[in-house]
Amino acid sequence: MSRQIAMVIDLNKCIGCQACTAACKSLWTDEEGQEYMLWNNVETKPGRGYPKNWEEKGAKSGWKDGVLQYGDIHDQNDFGSVPQLNHEEVYFKGTEERLQQKEPMTYGANWDEDTSSGDYPNNYHFYLPRLCNHCTKPACLEACPVRAIYKRDQDGIVLVDQDKCQGFRLCNRACPYDKVYYNYVKRKSQKCIFCFPRVEQGIAPACARQCPGRLRFVGFLEDLDGPIAKLVYQWKVALPLHPEFGTEPNVFYVPPMLPASFDAEGRFSDEPRVPTDYLRYLFGPGVDQALITLDAEMDRTKAGKQSELMDLLIAKDWKSLFNITDVQITSSTGAATS
Amino acid sequence: MAALTTDRRGFLKHTGAAAAAALSLKYMPGEALAATAGAALPVYGAWEDVMRRKWTWDRVVRGSRGINCSGHCAFNIYVKNGIVWREEQQGEYGRSGEDTPDYGPRGCQKGIRHSKYMYGKQRVLYPMKRVGERGAGQWERVSWDQAISEIADKVIEHATQSGPDSITFAMGTQMILKRASFTALFRFANVTGIVIPETFAGVGDLPVGAYMTLGYNLPGDNMAAIYKSKCVLVWAANPAATRIPDAHFFWEAKYNGTEVVTIAPDFSATAIHSSKWLNPKPGTDTALAMAMVQTIIADGLIDTDYVREQTDLPFLVRVDNGKFLRASDFGETGAAADTSFYFWDEKTRKPVKAPATGFGAFGSPTPEQKPGESLVLNGLKPALEGRWTVKTKSGRVEVTTVFAMTRELCNSRYTPEMAQVITGVHADNTRAVARTFAKSSAGMIYAGYRSCKWLHGDKLHRAWLLMCALTGNTGRDGGGMQTTQLAKGDGFAQFVFAGIGPRVKVAAISVWDYAKGDGKALNTATYGNEIADHFDKHYRASINNGWLPDYAKTPWKMAFMCGHNTANWRAAGTRFRETVLAKLETIVAMTPDMSVTAMYSDYVLPVAQHYERQDFVMEGRTPFIQVLDRAVPPLGESEDDWQIMARIAKAISEKAVARQLPPVKDVLYGKPIEHDYSKVHELFTMNGKITSTRDIAQFLIDNSEGIPKMSFEELAKKGFVRGDDSEGTQFGPKSPYSYDILFSTRDKRPYATLTGRQQFYFDHDWFLQEGEALPVYVDPLVIKGFPLRLTMGHARHGIHSMWRDDAFLLSLQRGEPDVYVNPDDAAKRGVKDGDLIRTFNSLGGFIAMAHVTSSMQPGAMFMYHGWDPMMFRGRQNFSGAIPTAGLLKPTSLVGNYGHIRYNSPNYVPNQTYHDHTVEFEKHVPAKPVAGPAFTATTAVRA
Repeated sequence: MSRQIAMVIDLNKCIGCQACTAACKSLWTDEEGQEYMLWNNVETKPGRGYPKNWEEKGAKSGWKDGVLQYGDIHDQNDFGSVPQLNHEEVYFKGTEERLQQKEPMTYGANWDEDTSSGDYPNNYHFYLPRLCNHCTKPACLEACPVRAIYKRDQDGIVLVDQDKCQGFRLCNRACPYDKVYYNYVKRKSQKCIFCFPRVEQGIAPACARQCPGRLRFVGFLEDLDGPIAKLVYQWKVALPLHPEFGTEPNVFYVPPMLPASFDAEGRFSDEPRVPTDYLRYLFGPGVDQALITLDAEMDRTKAGKQSELMDLLIAKDWKSLFNITDVQITSSTGAATS
Repeated sequence: MAALTTDRRGFLKHTGAAAAAALSLKYMPGEALAATAGAALPVYGAWEDVMRRKWTWDRVVRGSRGINCSGHCAFNIYVKNGIVWREEQQGEYGRSGEDTPDYGPRGCQKGIRHSKYMYGKQRVLYPMKRVGERGAGQWERVSWDQAISEIADKVIEHATQSGPDSITFAMGTQMILKRASFTALFRFANVTGIVIPETFAGVGDLPVGAYMTLGYNLPGDNMAAIYKSKCVLVWAANPAATRIPDAHFFWEAKYNGTEVVTIAPDFSATAIHSSKWLNPKPGTDTALAMAMVQTIIADGLIDTDYVREQTDLPFLVRVDNGKFLRASDFGETGAAADTSFYFWDEKTRKPVKAPATGFGAFGSPTPEQKPGESLVLNGLKPALEGRWTVKTKSGRVEVTTVFAMTRELCNSRYTPEMAQVITGVHADNTRAVARTFAKSSAGMIYAGYRSCKWLHGDKLHRAWLLMCALTGNTGRDGGGMQTTQLAKGDGFAQFVFAGIGPRVKVAAISVWDYAKGDGKALNTATYGNEIADHFDKHYRASINNGWLPDYAKTPWKMAFMCGHNTANWRAAGTRFRETVLAKLETIVAMTPDMSVTAMYSDYVLPVAQHYERQDFVMEGRTPFIQVLDRAVPPLGESEDDWQIMARIAKAISEKAVARQLPPVKDVLYGKPIEHDYSKVHELFTMNGKITSTRDIAQFLIDNSEGIPKMSFEELAKKGFVRGDDSEGTQFGPKSPYSYDILFSTRDKRPYATLTGRQQFYFDHDWFLQEGEALPVYVDPLVIKGFPLRLTMGHARHGIHSMWRDDAFLLSLQRGEPDVYVNPDDAAKRGVKDGDLIRTFNSLGGFIAMAHVTSSMQPGAMFMYHGWDPMMFRGRQNFSGAIPTAGLLKPTSLVGNYGHIRYNSPNYVPNQTYHDHTVEFEKHVPAKPVAGPAFTATTAVRA
């Protein structure tokens, strides 16, 4: 593989607005059979997430000692769905009283939104956007019995060839992040394509370019002067999610720093609001040093000093988030050519 | 694109490829084995073209959603096969003039979802006339001609029989920020004499306390100013959920060394990313703010030069009666004598008439009216504290200063320890935050509209501004109380009044509903006789004094609701539908989407959606003017609201001519006037010169200061332009927004207040009697027997009631309305997360899903506002337990006291939304599935 595209997601800026989720949905998964699919989702952590309890299943998938593990396929209810409403009956026919989903949800992709952990006022939660990690050691690729999944040489994007996929769903079982979905109409597995048609034109993926929180960096890991390499390799503040799954993700996260907690009398306390054990569970042992580094650099700016790391994360120029030559997309004939 | 033949197992070389391959074979179904047995490595890539083709389009048009979220985000609208396919942020704003992050890429999930929602099943596609009972959802499709003719008949009937005042035309949050549409509405009202309900205070969002203190109610800078602050108190606001395009400025500031402190009872989405979180009990914020004032004063962290020059804090007050010392006390007479105030000059040791006071009975000049007046002290040195005896015409009286009274008030009632008893916030934390705020080079209070929804929210604004004044932060770059800025009214007023003069009548909804919906009865039922009588006595007195119009005198016959979902949030839920709406003879909804208000209307007229019209939006949250261009024709038979108004105007004129209608008699501020209805269309269209919203937009561009001069088409091509004189983070005098703060703090012109200063003391009898001369804390009202405080805030997944019924956005919530409760409160009531609960008080109740989370303070409940009643069982939403339209506090009805007078949209009472308490219980449906059979009658009574 000549180079690997990657994303850094700064959790200190994510407000859980789901603009990324909506952007991805409108662009790629608006067809029949794809309703429940969120190639990109945002979930409240700690929380059960999308699909429900994916981390429990994830622990049984991925790589263990170089051996691929297979978890179970989730029940469809774990993903939730997008039930239609009875607009016609209520508003225009007058046959039903209340506007509601025709089949009410019992769980959904964002069911646990703002459901906090711990006890008030030392409770804690934050938002975690997730997409396919376009792993260096993709479990899905290894699991596919018909070799429909491949990793592109020019950018390391992992794709499911829709002409070749036979819908055996072994990729679903192998991916510890549950980021491969099954299209019930086409009977094929589908997943995030890292917006490769856009990336080929130098335009960042929709989830990143449409993020109003300005929290997603996109670039190539090999570009050592770019913010991605600096955050991942130089400053080591961007970490993979659940590195123990062994797939070597290429999506990295800047861990969250929540506000000061309170002591028993209600004074501000130095005790971290989010238990560090939980952050280690999510991001591995590197999170301790990452938080120390972030704190130290924030202390510098508080003291009125410069910080290269903070400047990187602030990203005054929106475009500095994207290092794949992002351009305007206003051509009247469509930007994509093949 | 070259097809690739990468060895898919190449990366496994280091990790035991054979073992892994063996394992994968083990799990391979037999069918798959057969399919791949002996196959060569596949060639990939041909399918990729399918995905590349998917990301293509036919046309791209600039646009946005012209709604009242004040986001006005620049979007490209992509059209494919004749319909809007998707939208994406234009994004390319570039850096602002100063050293702050840029504004790109503004947007949110609702905006990104709009391309799908606009084709949703809630859309109204053709004019409809009610055939069943109101609310029954039974309609007859009618032609535009029929609908317009019948509506015009009704307008003429009501205007001639009951006066134009009997007709209202409201624009709601869906339309109100579209500049051309909004301007058209005001011209329509100006030519017909019908009344426009004021919705800013109507939804309880008017920062009244800011107006009282500063003489204007929107002391806002643009959002990039946040980055310039060194300490931001995000107070009664949740920008992470409600200002999605701008929230990044807070976290970027935090990275840049700014202390971001969120002050909210619940651990909000904004608290998550803040440096610190203070969690006062709901409604106790004024006590917390005054404790911070106490700390600032006690620690001497005061910008004394600023306080002396810019505020009334050095002004002298008579100890005997609590009144300002005035020129009239020394025997002066005339209009200025009662508005000339004094301070004690430390140099000459005597009372000196304060410069730039004495503007006459009504005081409050605009800076332009008194260009020569200046706040500059010219060597005078007003004392901040002391007690002196002065000789007045009625003898010697003792005087002190407003500042001294403030210090005494704080020390006697609001030390951080005393406030802790009220707020629950530890005194050490209060002091720590107050000191950080006061010592920072720029301290900001990012103020949420939620603060205005409390009965005593005005005093919270006054306390905030006191914190800002003492520390010299009001007017400072990156400092001061921040709300927003509305565009200057120059081009707007020219258009509305052209050829007619100003005849627009605006009525405060709170006062209107008190009159129309028997607010006294509501208060009696909710709070008991004492409060009800006290408020009503002052309401009557205010009318008798001529301070307040008596809306009870004119019957309400007809209402136009244009993008205005008023039955959602108004007056205790179904009570508004039953006691007010039900009495209206004619209700016309003009709307793109159905809602509870449309359901209870007699006519529903389909209005074009945001991507189907031409207009522009602007609000001082950003320095940009944003276009709405027409990407596709309006769906079905819908038309934009200007076209509909023009149709109605034409029908009115034609009928007036045919019937030889005599002039319609009307009264404007006590003076009789007449409207010639045969000329309504001619006037509305300026003799046919105006043919569309595009033409109005062009008029506004041409005639408004600060909007760069260009054709609408040029604006449409660019998408957005930066307003003039907006390169800094504060708007300059030639910008399209108000410059009021800098007029005073930098240019030293007097404030448009009674005292010509930032005014913290109000010596009107009613203020003294109510104990509100200074910003004191008053407990929020409770409904006896109901222990929990239910508050509300703007939604994350909707803007007001818009997009709340989008199937996809609902799937990212719980599919139906939910209410947040604390785990202990839930457990005590046997409620689990996801259970249906009934939240209720003596007024009524509603049923919603319990969302149990420890982010909620015990004893508090929270619900996002805007959920449409149509989504609730019995069509009863949260407003069933919220007594709006009753609480008109006496001080809000004061008139003839300088700038304090009924003066929409500056000084009118807010509707209140938080001064009530509730209880909840697990809801067990009587019948698990269907419930009682639905009929039109149950719909009306629901």
